[in-house]
Amino acid sequence: MSLPTAPRLSLRRSLALVWRSLRSMRTALVLLLLLALAAVAGSLVPQVGVADARIAATFREHPLRARIFDQIGLFDVYGSWWFTMIYTLLLVSLVACLVPRTRAFLRNVRSRPAPARELDAMRHYAELPVRESPDQALGRARRLLRRRLFRVSGPNGARALAADKGLGREGGSLLFHIAFLVLLVGVVWGRGTGFTGQAVIVEGQTWTETHANYDGTAREGRFFREDHSGVQVRVEDFRATYRPTGQPRDFVTRATLLDAEGRELERVDIRVNHPAEAEGVKFYQFGYGWAPVLRVERDGEAISDGPVVCQQDTAPEGVSQLQTPWNCVVKLPSLDPQVGIRFELWPDRRGLLALLQTGEAMPMLVEYAPVMTWEAFEGDLRAELVQGVGVLDTSAMRPLETGVLGAGETVDLGRGLTVSFTELRQYTVLTVSRDRGLWIVLSAAILILLGLLPALYTSRRKLWVTAEADGAGTLLKVGGFALQRRSQFEQEFSRLVRDLRRVPDERVGS
Amino acid sequence: MSTGTWAELSRDAFSVAFFAYLLGMLAAFHFLAFRRKPVWVVSVAATGVGLAAHLVSIVGRGVAADRIPLGNMYEYSLLLSFLVVLAYLVFVEGYARVKTVGGFVLAFAVITMAVAVLFLYVGPAPLIPALNSYWRQVHVSSMIVSSSLLALGGVLTILYLVKERRERRLPSAPPIMGGAVSIDGAPPHFEAGADEPPQVEARARRGWLPRSSTLDRVAYRVIAFGFPIWTFGIITGAIWAESAWGRYWGWDPKETWSFITWVVFAGYLHARATSGWKGRRAAIVALVGFVSLLVTYYAVNLWIVGLHSYAT
Repeated sequence: MSLPTAPRLSLRRSLALVWRSLRSMRTALVLLLLLALAAVAGSLVPQVGVADARIAATFREHPLRARIFDQIGLFDVYGSWWFTMIYTLLLVSLVACLVPRTRAFLRNVRSRPAPARELDAMRHYAELPVRESPDQALGRARRLLRRRLFRVSGPNGARALAADKGLGREGGSLLFHIAFLVLLVGVVWGRGTGFTGQAVIVEGQTWTETHANYDGTAREGRFFREDHSGVQVRVEDFRATYRPTGQPRDFVTRATLLDAEGRELERVDIRVNHPAEAEGVKFYQFGYGWAPVLRVERDGEAISDGPVVCQQDTAPEGVSQLQTPWNCVVKLPSLDPQVGIRFELWPDRRGLLALLQTGEAMPMLVEYAPVMTWEAFEGDLRAELVQGVGVLDTSAMRPLETGVLGAGETVDLGRGLTVSFTELRQYTVLTVSRDRGLWIVLSAAILILLGLLPALYTSRRKLWVTAEADGAGTLLKVGGFALQRRSQFEQEFSRLVRDLRRVPDERVGS
Repeated sequence: MSTGTWAELSRDAFSVAFFAYLLGMLAAFHFLAFRRKPVWVVSVAATGVGLAAHLVSIVGRGVAADRIPLGNMYEYSLLLSFLVVLAYLVFVEGYARVKTVGGFVLAFAVITMAVAVLFLYVGPAPLIPALNSYWRQVHVSSMIVSSSLLALGGVLTILYLVKERRERRLPSAPPIMGGAVSIDGAPPHFEAGADEPPQVEARARRGWLPRSSTLDRVAYRVIAFGFPIWTFGIITGAIWAESAWGRYWGWDPKETWSFITWVVFAGYLHARATSGWKGRRAAIVALVGFVSLLVTYYAVNLWIVGLHSYAT
């Protein structure tokens, strides 16, 4: 084993070598298993977009490991260069396998079964004397095989038939693999030209489908050409219903869909499992929350008025999400000094009361005399820093006052400021997406199934029949074999021989 | 009857099925070791009784919850173990006429049921909105039917690997009175499978289990039956995911693992058609698929957080 003496590969020869190894089933197999292995990694390491909080935790707790993971793309396996490489190689390998196979298959379909010699050397062989002429016997064998969906060629002058059956196995297998290719293409194209994002819409508001209105949640495909639809969604109301146990029963957004010019398209109920669609864009029920309408006045003049979207923290272990209050923030940057108010909303007043009395909040299933606790701060909002709408940075502020505010009430903050809690509304969160590849993917998936069945359950069989005059009758020789499912063919073969033996009565002696 | 009575009936029938399978399993192992035909009859009868009780348990559960009992991991396990035993009776005992592997299949069913009742039990209850879809019934039932078939194939593959190893260790010319035969008390042809070899070799090579080629073939058939159903299950799952979550595929852990299992079993089917991979190597791929199936079924729900977590 001395490597240096091996002949040096020219570029062309090494390319040919690579191509040849890509064509082998073994390479495809290894690539397929590598793809599975990569997916395992993706399911064990938290992924971007699926478990962002856990990624952040990893960065805090194990900074070195997190940096290494990040470098090699383990936090975004399905978008990493090596995952792309594996499936691209798999695609190439698939094509490399499929092109010659399809060609051979088409050749096979067009050609007729070829004659063979030495039938007695076949795996299955039988000789049967029948009392009819060789031509009659062959004609009968031919009809028999035809009836059983064999392709039959002959007798072309010679007293021999060649037959085969089961092209569906290779055909089905090819269909399966080609459909799999189409599916992958459909996925890449559909995702690449589409987008997905989330829309937060308060009852009574109208939301327009444009990039800006996603508040940074939009994820647009690589080939997306900024062609947002401009479709508008006017949310009439949202309703969440629960069973007495606190288990959710139904979430419904009643909405009107309008086109980009504001013409009404359709009134829809969007619920879980029942999305709405307009101009290729789909709207799915995703979540909901509360949005109190708050009016802030200074010296009797409104400086802020409208629904404020509240968020909920994840409930601690052992506490239901329904027992948890909602947090929202009102910022008044136009005042000097600036003022910020932090609210905690209890949509059902009894939830807060139960917490104060027993130490445990009651699940809040419906709106019931909603109440908010508030803390006001004065100072610098530090608006120059990037921060979420629901976050109040009080590092440069001093506490002003705290209090409780019920629906329909107004409170005086001093300095001529009043806050009114006019009414409580709900907001709905809709997932909005467009994927034009959906139909390609679905059709390909159906074709995959259709191809799989013959590929797995049929087998390729070949049969030959010869006839020789033998005294007054004929000696039929039948030989054949199956490439798959051999034990079934054994039975099929013996049934065939049995039927060939049975000469119809009127033929006898003719 | 009230809902409570149905729930109780379901649990009682579960216990009957559990202990019947346990008895069937012990009898099957006894038969494997000593080849007494009456013991085999006891084993199959106990399995049949268990299967009937099992069906009662599933139906009772459905009536108690007032829906098709496919809403959580306990119910999935209930149906999965039922179908594994049913598929075993139909395919292995009935179709392939292999009588010696029942103990292992029943052991799988017993373990599945024990895990279900110990770790996964929840009372019968209605479903949350995301699960409320016709696609759920199609998706979940095809996933469970195929899981049971693939699991049965997995058990047979393990037995194949055990047997294949023993056969490789036998001398190439089989001795008439080999060590493996001495335990055997059964009449020589009792256990003959569909294509058992000529008598002498059969006796020498048989040992405790059917011939490896028989095990390999039955395992392949069962997996080849389960694989398209698994494919169908993934497709219907994707259709459902599209209507519930707005995307047909999101690399959620359960999705990812069902894909991994699909890929590995696809690898197995290819491996069987690839020279140099037939036999033991292909079986090892199927074994990896079996492990992946168990991870898909249990680990994802119990330890990995994802959208399918509510199924526990």
